[in-house]
Amino acid sequence: MLARIAWRNLLRGWRRSAVVLCAVSVGLFASLSLVAWGHGLLNQVVQTAVATRLSLLAIHAKGYQADPDVGLALADGGRQLAALVERFPGAHASPRALGDGLAQSARQNAHVTLVGVIPEAERRVSVVGNSIVAGDFPQPTPGGGVRALPGALLGSELADDLRVGVGEKIVLHAPGESGLGAFRVSGLFHSASPDFDKGTVFLRLEDAQRLLGVGDRVHEIAVALDDARALDRLDAFAKAELPRARPGEALEILTWQEREPRLASLLDLMSSTAWIAYATVFAGMAFGIANALLMSVFERIREFGVLRSLGLQGRQLVELVLLESLILTLGGAALGVGLGVAFVLVLGHTGVSGDAFAGAGVLSVGPRVYPRLESGDWLSPFALAVVTAALAAIWPAVKAARLRPAEAVRHI
Amino acid sequence: MGEEAVLEARRVTKVYRAAAIETVALADVDLVVERGEFSALSGPSGSGKTTLLNLLGTLDTPTRGRVFVAGRDVTEMSDAQRSDLRLHELGFVFQSYNLVPVLTALENVEFVLLLQRAPRAERRARALRSLEDLGLGELVEKRPNEMSGGQQQRVAVARAIASEPQIVLADEPTANLDSKTAEDLLDLMERLNRERGVTFLFSTHDPRVMARARRVIRLVDGRIASDERRPQ
Repeated sequence: MLARIAWRNLLRGWRRSAVVLCAVSVGLFASLSLVAWGHGLLNQVVQTAVATRLSLLAIHAKGYQADPDVGLALADGGRQLAALVERFPGAHASPRALGDGLAQSARQNAHVTLVGVIPEAERRVSVVGNSIVAGDFPQPTPGGGVRALPGALLGSELADDLRVGVGEKIVLHAPGESGLGAFRVSGLFHSASPDFDKGTVFLRLEDAQRLLGVGDRVHEIAVALDDARALDRLDAFAKAELPRARPGEALEILTWQEREPRLASLLDLMSSTAWIAYATVFAGMAFGIANALLMSVFERIREFGVLRSLGLQGRQLVELVLLESLILTLGGAALGVGLGVAFVLVLGHTGVSGDAFAGAGVLSVGPRVYPRLESGDWLSPFALAVVTAALAAIWPAVKAARLRPAEAVRHI
Repeated sequence: MGEEAVLEARRVTKVYRAAAIETVALADVDLVVERGEFSALSGPSGSGKTTLLNLLGTLDTPTRGRVFVAGRDVTEMSDAQRSDLRLHELGFVFQSYNLVPVLTALENVEFVLLLQRAPRAERRARALRSLEDLGLGELVEKRPNEMSGGQQQRVAVARAIASEPQIVLADEPTANLDSKTAEDLLDLMERLNRERGVTFLFSTHDPRVMARARRVIRLVDGRIASDERRPQ
């Protein structure tokens, strides 16, 4: 019955209730949309980074992360380690030979990162396989012949800079004695990261090893997962199993967060920002709600006096005011979150142009940003709504409970 | 306090303090109200009748003296205990009807039974019976703003007696009613007193009420000036 009284009281002052409800819902809708935008943007930055230059997990020779020297490489083409890590359910490994180099066409040259891969393995690990816009990964070179140049897959922006297309010849230089070779452009890729597209050349692993002069060794084993949420378990598995399998080799096994802590901290920052956004909205709301409730209490002093005369306890009166506050705030939160989630779902499907960011080269995102919400993003407003409702109701509720029935019942 | 005493005031004094001014509203009042009475506190404005009714109804606390309700000393009771006592032992009818505006007539009556934690079916049945007994069956689903003053006051009486209290305290119950409606209301309360033994104590300066009361306690300047009992 208290809930019924609370509800009907809110309906009785429907204009005031509607104003508070709108204020809460609009505030939440706006902050939810902003948070979703931020999450979408940052997640795409991270996804792009992980799917291109980083990987969920990377295995290197010890020291490579701090100083990516060509000499710091894993023996045996990384085959044993790759096979071992792939024993983890849903894990895919791609050994990579890495090195800096210079790409030269007939017209231009550019500094590049040479990435030697086994195309079949790389397709399962990075986004490059899905980003090919012309041609393909390089095929194995059938023995010798002038025309049988090894292939190279170039980022589309690099190809533009070098002014070459598929089938045209480039020369790649790598430091060292054997570091020179002619290649034919086998394909072009276009990922979400302009930087990556501008400076990366994919070669077949054996070609890159020959160019870099590292024999059968590789510099990195990039690992991806079917379900990225299992990264922590994969990390634990790899750190426990791999060193045991190769006791003679000092390994460095790092998750993408360990390799790029600043990028990882951006995501944490976004989560904190979400809380700050909500807390700011609700702090403002609390004053509005308290004001509305206080007005409502002042208008009902006599009614409260009657209820107290009938035997309603002071704490039950507190409950009544608290209930009204809760209904208002949770109603507003539900409306705001509902609209916000719907809005984000639509934008999450259609996307919002990310040109402003990609163009500036500040963040590597795709052509469109897809706002998204984490579960906590829309659950936390409800938790905050309860706290706000309670805080906002304290003063009016105590005011109501402290009314002296004898005076209240005759209040005009 | 006698065996049949429902309310008792012992040397009750009430002093109101505002700024530096003290106003003695009641001075050393002794009063016993017994079961089955149909009594009226009368007196001019400011004589202290409403103050005394509030003290007897535990809506206020005396500055000095003691108040007993159904044999229990309420003077030292906590706010929660007094609320509980009001809920179970006292019924109130106010001058301005004072029904809960957002509840229907039935819900208004039911509300007290809900506070008494009566089971849902029972409270609904008792509330309905209370209203129907008072001839208010057609008002069950109406809210106060859909009722006349007289109808609201009758619902207030139904609410007051639904919890089967020891006594109904009625503060100027006829003050806002026209003569006919006031007489009807008094008929109703008199009938409840006669047939069901409901004890009534009125605070009033309405001659119609005083004419019906079987005991009239007259207050002047916060003291009992006369206490007249009339034969039934």
